[in-house]
Amino acid sequence: MAEFNKMSEMVIAGDFAGVKALTQKMIDDQVDPISIINDGLMPGMNVVGVRFKAGDMFVPEVMMSAKAMAAGIELVKPLIAESNMPTAGKVLVGTVKGDLHDIGKKLVNMMLESAGFQIIDLGVDIAPAKFVEAVKEHKPDVVGMSALLTTTMLSMKDTIDALKEEGLRDRVKVIIGGAPVTQSFAEQIGADGYAPDAAAATDLCKQLTAN
Amino acid sequence: MAVGSLHHNGLFFRTLTEEQVQDIHRASCEILEQTGMVIHHEEAVELLRSAGAHVEAGNRVYFPTHLVEKAVASAPSRVTIYNRQGKPAMYLEGSKVYFGTGSDTLNYLDPVTGERRSWRQEDVAQAVRVVDYLPQIDFVMSMGLLSDVDRRMINREQYALMLQNSVKPQVVIAEDGDTLKDIIEMAAAARGGKDKLKQKPLFMLYTEPTSPLQQPRESTDKLLIAAEHGVPTNFACGGVAGASVPTTVGGALVQANAEALSGLVIHQLKAPGAPFIYGYGNSPMDMRTMQAVYGTPEAVMFQGGLVNLAQYYQLPSWGYAGCSNSKVTDEQAVMEATMFTLMGALQGCNMMHDVYYMEFGLTGSLEFLLINNEVIGRARRMLDGIATDRESLAVDAIKRVGPGGNFLGDEHTAKHFKENWLPELSDFNSYENWAALGSKTMAERAREKVIAIMQSHQPEPVSAEVQSRIAEILAQARVHVGAKE
Repeated sequence: MAEFNKMSEMVIAGDFAGVKALTQKMIDDQVDPISIINDGLMPGMNVVGVRFKAGDMFVPEVMMSAKAMAAGIELVKPLIAESNMPTAGKVLVGTVKGDLHDIGKKLVNMMLESAGFQIIDLGVDIAPAKFVEAVKEHKPDVVGMSALLTTTMLSMKDTIDALKEEGLRDRVKVIIGGAPVTQSFAEQIGADGYAPDAAAATDLCKQLTAN
Repeated sequence: MAVGSLHHNGLFFRTLTEEQVQDIHRASCEILEQTGMVIHHEEAVELLRSAGAHVEAGNRVYFPTHLVEKAVASAPSRVTIYNRQGKPAMYLEGSKVYFGTGSDTLNYLDPVTGERRSWRQEDVAQAVRVVDYLPQIDFVMSMGLLSDVDRRMINREQYALMLQNSVKPQVVIAEDGDTLKDIIEMAAAARGGKDKLKQKPLFMLYTEPTSPLQQPRESTDKLLIAAEHGVPTNFACGGVAGASVPTTVGGALVQANAEALSGLVIHQLKAPGAPFIYGYGNSPMDMRTMQAVYGTPEAVMFQGGLVNLAQYYQLPSWGYAGCSNSKVTDEQAVMEATMFTLMGALQGCNMMHDVYYMEFGLTGSLEFLLINNEVIGRARRMLDGIATDRESLAVDAIKRVGPGGNFLGDEHTAKHFKENWLPELSDFNSYENWAALGSKTMAERAREKVIAIMQSHQPEPVSAEVQSRIAEILAQARVHVGAKE
């Protein structure tokens, strides 16, 4: 359908208003809402992902595309039963206690959302107990912790220990990220994975939820 | 005071005109007045509220411009930092420039094995001793994040290592207020009392807002403790242009300036006249790799702007030099570091840190530090400018040597050639002589010299009395935080 192609192009171009208008028109024309996502919005975002990896698109452009896609999703979401909503998995994220940095984390959220993951963002300065509480409530597939400061990254282990104490550790995959975080640090504190950047975090979540 | 850095013999450098500086100042004040800051600290919010700031939602603070201008006026225009022996080490004033290393790198490039690994206490001790030796490095920072001590003790142990292994003044990172208080105790022990430490500061605190426009509780806590104890401090955001600050250099300056001024206002309300070092950083986000990148042309220009703002406010300035994104000591490392160092020197930034940082600050390399030491020597020589007194103009010597003569045998040459820069690591040999010495690259020569310094340099130790006081403070802290030995 030509309109699906047009919608994909609009997502690639980051045309927020265009995507919104076209989605509304399709809804009015009784196009299947799930098809709007799977045949119109997602194929555009998939192209964005490929172009970004190839170095043909830059982060701010990817952000514009993701925003455009989100505008479309927002319109069709109320029309789809929650259980039918296409999702790659649920990811709970937060910046650890004592740390207010969240730009890297937001970037990861955006990339994950573009790849079809559902994100629950707890925000910043999240204590281990809050992570535990949220895991109980939301039952995510993956818990992602972020820290920018060398002084706060060390508290990631406290959250992992708290999850263990509550018997929740085996039910979720734990991933960590942030400028000072490394693969060996992830292994040291018993996390399931580490990603050096937002694109790699998406691949990591896909890999962890596929298993 | 006019903006711009006047070095020696008329050498002058300026990035912004006074009109541009005023435009930035006004824009920052507009942000502070209309957007304000979120300040996660009750005492600081109360200080601001009672001074006339407007507060909403408990911690959203809107700063009237008069508060900013009052703080700028009450902060001292110059600060002297003294070394452990009590001698003045850095006059943070005018266009004087000083260089130091960086803190808390995760990886150490071991000069002996070439391995990239985590830091142990003996590594930090050795690295600090190398800093103690290097003539162009003026202050020391913690070098690396210790992997072999309890995590709650890291900053305290780092400080003890800095204090014990170098007489040079320090710039410190502290996890929280309690850590800072213990560091003050250790410094006071070395200085002979808290009063003396206040009179002759031995270290500067590095603390920071979280961009955009937030002050975390711990940072604000430390800022207030520093003000109270007369410990010089900055309040320096580490901006990431395009992510946490605007992508344009001007926009990044407006926001970073607003954040620094918000810290200055709280600091001066707590203790008017307490020493404050104005400055901040910007590592723009690379829009392909999402890395915060050091020393891009924009980041270097940004520093020129901040120095001119510091001059406009009549405050000492804080910035960066000698750092790189490269993973090894290669052409990129030296190119990035050298540009930043030379430009920083010309800009007249009073205190420049992170000399020796590689891989965006994740790795530290001592051989790279040695190369930087040589670069700084070259840059400092250039700040001397061209002397034009009669003797330097050498009119008599030119007349004496005359047409077809030779200056090599003239007394004027013998008298003045040592004023010129002399290399230590740079190779000026003929090809044959260079080959005979082993055909070594500069990085190889630097590595050999690092190892030689490590083997031979013995810094002046702290007295037994100070040593036992440091041990006591650390032991008490271990109990306090519940850490193992």
